[in-house]
Amino acid sequence: MPYPDRETFQSFLDDLLGMRFDYLEIGIPTEKPYYDGPVIRRTHRKAMEGFSFQYLKEVVNISVSRGKKNYALVYYNHFHESVDEFLDNIRDSGLDGAIVPDLLTDYYDEREYLSEQFRKRKISLIPFFTSSTPDRVIIEMLDLTDGWIYHGLQPSTGIRVPVSIDKMVARIRSLCGNREIIFGFGINSAETISDLKRYGADGIAVGSSLVPYIESNDHKGFSSEVRMLQGGVYD
Amino acid sequence: MYSEQNVDIIPEKWYNIVPDLPEPLPPPRDHDPENSSIDLLNRILPKEVLRQEFTSSRYEQIPQEVIEQYMQIGRPTPLIRAKNLEKFLKFNGKIFFKYEGATVTGSHKINTALPQAYYAANEGVQEVVTETGAGQWGTATALAATLNGIKSTVFMVKVSYEQKPLRKKIMNLYGAQVYASPSNMTDFGKKILAKDPDHPGTLGIAISEAVQYSLDHDMRYLLGSVENCVITHQTVIGQETVKQLETIGEKADTLIGCVGGGSNFSGFTFPFIKTDAEMIATAASEVPKFSRGKYAYDMIDTAGILPELKMFSLGADFVPKSIYAGGLRYHGAAPALSLLIRKGRIKTDEVGESQSLEAFKIFSKTQGIVPAPESSHAIATAINYCRNPANQGKTVVINVSGHGLLDLSFVRD
Ligand SMILES: Cc1ncc(COP(=O)(O)O)c(C=O)c1O
Repeated sequence: MPYPDRETFQSFLDDLLGMRFDYLEIGIPTEKPYYDGPVIRRTHRKAMEGFSFQYLKEVVNISVSRGKKNYALVYYNHFHESVDEFLDNIRDSGLDGAIVPDLLTDYYDEREYLSEQFRKRKISLIPFFTSSTPDRVIIEMLDLTDGWIYHGLQPSTGIRVPVSIDKMVARIRSLCGNREIIFGFGINSAETISDLKRYGADGIAVGSSLVPYIESNDHKGFSSEVRMLQGGVYD
Repeated sequence: MYSEQNVDIIPEKWYNIVPDLPEPLPPPRDHDPENSSIDLLNRILPKEVLRQEFTSSRYEQIPQEVIEQYMQIGRPTPLIRAKNLEKFLKFNGKIFFKYEGATVTGSHKINTALPQAYYAANEGVQEVVTETGAGQWGTATALAATLNGIKSTVFMVKVSYEQKPLRKKIMNLYGAQVYASPSNMTDFGKKILAKDPDHPGTLGIAISEAVQYSLDHDMRYLLGSVENCVITHQTVIGQETVKQLETIGEKADTLIGCVGGGSNFSGFTFPFIKTDAEMIATAASEVPKFSRGKYAYDMIDTAGILPELKMFSLGADFVPKSIYAGGLRYHGAAPALSLLIRKGRIKTDEVGESQSLEAFKIFSKTQGIVPAPESSHAIATAINYCRNPANQGKTVVINVSGHGLLDLSFVRD
């Protein structure tokens, strides 16, 4: 956020806040969003122009006032040199926590340190897992964190390679017990969503599939896309 | 070798090491920020192969048809005690070798060519494309394609094409169309030839050509090494070895294999990952990816069409000396293998051409099996290992990834 500019972003946020969902995931724009596909990568570049923590705080305030919980999605490569300052800003923005998708793959040795920094500030580090996260690493991260779990359905956002949803959900469920598991990355059909739900997912996160509507300033299309996807969730 | 008695040694499932790694496997990354090369894989690879590449499952069921094909091409391969070599080295431990040269195409490559061609054919693909360095992978692809009723095209690194005419003949016999790479068949090949008409070719270039050709003609590309699903398929080697050792009541202290892209070594050793066996991966000194390579994201192919992988690499434009072990000339090594080396679980060695030639001669003379030049590097490491007094009494298992009967031209009379 804010993509493509503050005004447009806010108008779509208004649409969204009138609809049914629990968590708002707010992308902090960065130079190197390695695990995002081309669509989200494009938004990062543009959004960097309009981003500030002051603005983030305003956005979070609006969302909080509508009863949502709010989480940042932020790459560790964006703040690993200024962890204290950055996490203070995240906390002060009123966010409930953050998802850090490159922590385990690119900064594995800092996982304990970073989770301690989150804990100290009473914000949640949302563990981010994919099908290539080893069992042992998952079990250890569950110990280092509380709160819900974000599981990548695809190797990066906005692309689709074939996956066995049943096996993937069963595996992560068997490791995570009752913790809330939310799937994201490349989800764009109600069918995938109802499959995920059927096999035991607690929620889904969408992003890339909404971007084209924002780009063409198509509010009607945006809302009907969200409703279409919600058909999979609340059917 | 082709007896029906031991077929229950062939595993029913392939083993995927990813869930058992000590750290997450760094995912592939796009080389070009404007495009998704991961998405492009949908147009390059058979769907099932792509699914297996990113699976979270520890085991994948091997289709019954593929098990039948494994039997037809000579699986299970034998595990042989190298008693003559032990005697020659005055080694008082035990040396075993798993002999992948006993497959009909003469190397381990057929283990993954069969399932990939099977999945492609199942999905209605008419023709598959690949590259080959030494010729082993091209041979395996050609046979796998014809056994599954589809056609194949192979881009063969030019030096090998010229050095190994017999390989080309065999591929033709199996029905493959073979081109020397760089070739005039793709834009990338043309670009390279325009700059240097005598370019000897590299595996990186040949991969680029094969991938581009598959995109241009809507065929599917078969992966010879490096990628995770290839290693998963190659675990038939290690799983058979585990059972064979169990049957004779032996336990491996040390496992040794050679590394080009890392598929035979990883397929051989990964099923032992939870044991305390020592593992040594041997590369060629002329391609010093372990001692001089960087552990970083790098391109798989020289053109950068495929996603980047985090691995030990000398750089995708590295042009190695034209050593006879063509299969070891690749610039990188599989990500899971690289990670385990990085973590210290797997040790490395690098062996030069003269030393591997020496090992080749010793092995031929003592065991009667002419090993592939690639495999001779692993044998050289094993010979040094067994000559070290500290290793007396150990049980050493070498993966002899192929035979060298078609590579004899390099032996001076
Ligand atoms: C006989 C043989 N061994 C080893 C290799 C090296 O490849 P990899 O490291 O993938 O097993 C090759 C590759 O062509 C080969 O033909």
